[in-house]
Amino acid sequence: MGESGEMLDNSYVIRPNFQHKFKPATAKECIHQILKEELVSKQYDPEQVPALTRALSEAVKDKLKEMGYDRYKLVVQVVIGEQRGEGVKMAARCFWDADTDNYAQDIYMNEILLLHLPLLVLQSDPCW
Amino acid sequence: MEEFQTGEETTFVVDEISTIIKESVEGAIGGNAYQHSRVNQWSSNVVEQCLSQLTKLGKPFKYIVTCIIMQKNGAGLQTASSCFWDNSTDGSCTVRWENKSMYCIVSVFGLAL
Repeated sequence: MGESGEMLDNSYVIRPNFQHKFKPATAKECIHQILKEELVSKQYDPEQVPALTRALSEAVKDKLKEMGYDRYKLVVQVVIGEQRGEGVKMAARCFWDADTDNYAQDIYMNEILLLHLPLLVLQSDPCW
Repeated sequence: MEEFQTGEETTFVVDEISTIIKESVEGAIGGNAYQHSRVNQWSSNVVEQCLSQLTKLGKPFKYIVTCIIMQKNGAGLQTASSCFWDNSTDGSCTVRWENKSMYCIVSVFGLAL
């Protein structure tokens, strides 16, 4: 029985073929562009940083959507820290399907702030 | 053809996940002071413990667990995340834990199969 509403024909494609597969290198380039534009000579201002992090994560997510990964779910995380000589460590683990899912990340530093942006991409199936 | 999946099993329950995260963090780093040489191992332990507890739940989900451990130094830190997923079944949970010398922020993202 089909779902009501969506008029998608069955493509019977369970795994992405090579053209539609997520390519981490392309995504990393794309993230890097966005970071360079947004963060050149920005300072760490506690009032503005919350809005900046949210805006950055939305911008990266939208840019990735435009790249055509329509059968993928995306998770974008942005971490901005102030450089004051403190120690920071970030770790991540994922429980996913290694054939189809992947991640890309980028790090940006200037004298004032440090930004780490992991992007995770998981296959979904919108037609079930 | 009948529906094989019921609604109860395939939604992300934030409270349950939040408890699991707190227990994992307490177990891995509770009671320790920030030490640069051990932070590597701590963050791996936190993340791996969280993930193994989550997979034991046996739900049809893919999980992503991230952990940030930061020394208390007066510096600021901000995190945000943006996700493109199915709102009815997928979810995330973030837990912020601290002691006298460090902060630990753990995020879990769960995506239904």
